[in-house]
Amino acid sequence: MTLLAALFSHYRRHPMQLLALAALIVLATMLWTGVHHLTSQARASLDRSELAVAERRQVTRADGKPVSVQDFVELRRAGLCVMPWLEVATPETGRVVGLDPLAAGCFESSPGEDRPWRGELDGAPFVDIREAAGLAKQHWSELSLLVSGADSDAGLPSGYRVEPFTVGPDSGELGESFLLNMDALGVLVLLITALLLRSVYLLGLAQRRESFALLHRFGVPGGRINRLLMLEIMLLALVCIVPGVWLGRWLATGLGTGFGQALEGLFDRPLYAGQKGGWLVPVVTMLVVVLVACLADFLRPLARGLSMGSRWQGGFLMLCLLAGIGLSVWAPALVWLFVAVAVVFVASGILAPLLIARLADWRASREADPLSRWRHRELSVLARRLALPLVALQFAMAMVLAVQALVTTFESTFDRWLAQRLEADFYIEVPEGVDAGLAVDWLAEQPELVSSGVWHRVVRGQATVMEPGGEPGPVVDVFALGPIGPLVTGWQLFESTGAPWQKLAAGQGLMVNEQLARRRGLAVGDLLSLKLGNQVGDFPILAVYPDYGRPAGEVLINVSMLPTDFEAGFQSLSVSPGNLPIDTIASGLKQVWAVEQLTVRDNRAIEALASAIFDQTFLLTRAMTILTLILATIALMMMGWVFFSTRAWYFRLLVVWGLSPRQAAVQLTRLSLSLTSAIALLALPLGIWLTWVLVHRINPLAFGWSLPMAVYPRFWLELGVLSLLVGLGIALLMRRQLTSPVPAPESASALSGGER
Amino acid sequence: MVDSLLTARGLNKQFRSANQPVAVLSNLALHLERGESLALTGRSGSGKTTLLNILCGLEKPDAGRLQVLGEVFDSRAPEAGSQAEARWASLRRQRIGVVFQDANLMPALSLLDNVRLRARLAGQSEADCQDWLERLDIGELAERYPDQVSGGQRQRAALAMVFAMKPALILADEPTGSLDRHTAEDVTRQLFDLQARHGCGLILATHDTELATRCSHRLDLGHQPGT
Repeated sequence: MTLLAALFSHYRRHPMQLLALAALIVLATMLWTGVHHLTSQARASLDRSELAVAERRQVTRADGKPVSVQDFVELRRAGLCVMPWLEVATPETGRVVGLDPLAAGCFESSPGEDRPWRGELDGAPFVDIREAAGLAKQHWSELSLLVSGADSDAGLPSGYRVEPFTVGPDSGELGESFLLNMDALGVLVLLITALLLRSVYLLGLAQRRESFALLHRFGVPGGRINRLLMLEIMLLALVCIVPGVWLGRWLATGLGTGFGQALEGLFDRPLYAGQKGGWLVPVVTMLVVVLVACLADFLRPLARGLSMGSRWQGGFLMLCLLAGIGLSVWAPALVWLFVAVAVVFVASGILAPLLIARLADWRASREADPLSRWRHRELSVLARRLALPLVALQFAMAMVLAVQALVTTFESTFDRWLAQRLEADFYIEVPEGVDAGLAVDWLAEQPELVSSGVWHRVVRGQATVMEPGGEPGPVVDVFALGPIGPLVTGWQLFESTGAPWQKLAAGQGLMVNEQLARRRGLAVGDLLSLKLGNQVGDFPILAVYPDYGRPAGEVLINVSMLPTDFEAGFQSLSVSPGNLPIDTIASGLKQVWAVEQLTVRDNRAIEALASAIFDQTFLLTRAMTILTLILATIALMMMGWVFFSTRAWYFRLLVVWGLSPRQAAVQLTRLSLSLTSAIALLALPLGIWLTWVLVHRINPLAFGWSLPMAVYPRFWLELGVLSLLVGLGIALLMRRQLTSPVPAPESASALSGGER
Repeated sequence: MVDSLLTARGLNKQFRSANQPVAVLSNLALHLERGESLALTGRSGSGKTTLLNILCGLEKPDAGRLQVLGEVFDSRAPEAGSQAEARWASLRRQRIGVVFQDANLMPALSLLDNVRLRARLAGQSEADCQDWLERLDIGELAERYPDQVSGGQRQRAALAMVFAMKPALILADEPTGSLDRHTAEDVTRQLFDLQARHGCGLILATHDTELATRCSHRLDLGHQPGT
């Protein structure tokens, strides 16, 4: 028998342990690869998208009509370097952008310019314009004409103007922030994985201590045993990582569509292209994690050098914890918030098992009953010996708790907000080229609608915020309503003056959305200088309203305040018809506008669609956190079982001393339940703090809007029940060993009196 | 007072090894009275530990009748397993002390707490526990943990635990097997002194022929059946 075979013989005797270790590596690799694949692809798409539009300008028609192929031809004939940019939205692939590489050739010849995209046209979001034109026949599309910087000012034919080019609202660094959030979640998964791997590996080592000692006595040098162990773990890692990566890619593909829709929903930009990812990064990363987790013992001398004694260590960790919490309150940027989260997690992760052990020791010292004292002392041993999987479970529980609270809060808040926004039963698009005022007059003359229904007109467009020096500032969306009535007066407002809706109806000011208020530091009562059409005015801010799910700044004003030269991008009517049938309204409006077709949409259907899209938004985070929790739960159960096996003798001793096997099993169950419920209790404050960080700190910095802080005790109870189930699972697994005959103690630790 | 502590008749036990039945105990009979000691000898695998386990109810014989401290256990009796288990548990808790070769102590408890735990389970006063440690010359080690004392000191603590429960019968499985000769002699002397002083029965499984000669009776399991 070779030395390697002798080492592996441990797993021949404990195949379940080998299977569990392998399953842990496969699952963890799958989870991290899935997340990494999604975020790296989204980041690549974001980079390309941002590079494509970085400081670009476009030519538009002075009369406000959309540009056409004819305009492109005319501009090229005038000698301008312009390139068509055809954006098409399809339900299957999301948004794709069609580009013409030939037309873009002139960009490269212009000084200081390069192609408006990087790399080849290798699929979504960038495709050849021929392909996009094919899709545009059946789907929504928009043509833009990008112009080279060199040509943007000179030689522009009359009837055209040059404007900044953006593909959506200015998301700034929001997309990057969202992906940073996903990265942070991925790092947390990696950390939990490393903790679990290390704990499984250490227990395996503990079980094989006698074998190593024997080999050492047989003359095998310690260094050779270590090298063989390294080889063993490398082989195992390689065998398990490959299927893990494959499964992770499969997971990413499964979640990719929803993830892409989520990103578009959040940022109005095609951030996820969904190409196939590579194998190298996940394989190397997981190999490094496995190696570091299993061979961290080499760092022990260094750790000993830095050690400051357990008394000071506790104080130092507490200081770190407080510093991390303080930093999370004051952190000015997202990156500092992540540092704060890392500090708090590391400190609480080291403190949690110590705290359980010390509390158990303290309880033991105060117990008069020797059996209770034994149980508390045993709990203290367990907390220290199972520290790593316990901390992994604590982290996973805290993460699940926070993400679940965030998602539930978001869903309920968003549902409420959406219901307010879609208060009217129907939504009627005002066709292009017709006078919306005619419809307003007609609706006001319908006695049945006036008596039993309610309606308002919506005008959407854009305005420019003016800087204090009179310079034009950022462009914001305009959301104009009139008449102001019951369809909007029930909206929830973050802050407002007295009677804000009456003042809005009277044209005494405007309201701003949260995003604009945060970005510009605006508060109720401030004056906002705004250029509407060609007129600049100062408007008092009457209220700040929530506006979830997108980054754009927006002002809400009365339609009557819009100047006549205001260019409406889109107009609609929101109608709750009351006793008047919607068909009557639709046919009346068709007559008024002299059109044959009218788009009338049921707002309930729109509400359902919007809710479905936002459900997708958090599908990935929910899936990741639940999978992490499952991973941590299985790992703790397995570790608990393995560790209890090494202590089985002492539970059997209770039977020898006269406890019935059932009574001994009750002691075991109480111990196991105490351990898992203690860690669940410690996960609770960490989870609540993380919830607060997510909704009050990370969300506003990453997305521009905040959510109310809500806690869900029912979910705490569910996690509590889960922790009890884990405890029961460990106890049940162990109970089987109590019923078998009592063997002599095997392990070296038992010979030396066991661990305490 | 009943002088008969233990009577066994027709004890049979067999295990399966490589799918073949191997008889460990065959029609075994034995009898022990108060104050007597019995040495179980025999080569490794002859069934010494199995017999001790059967005599304290940790294992069930395939057949046979046992009368232990007034309680009768008959393999043919239609008694529910849980009832017999409860009677055995009660005996082990209060009247039968068991000493193994090692690992007799809970590692997370001090020597004194171990003795207290054993006394409490047996329903005895904890007040004498320190005294028992003193009598076994380890009083000053009372607050130490098992891993902080030597093997001999751990075995003395194990004896203190057994005597603190005031047993009627002591079952000892190679109690000095892991100790050096000098310590083993010391521990053995204390075991026999205390057994004689308290008048309890002692059944001792051992390889040590010298130790076996100190017992009033001897049963060589290599030469079954016999009494």
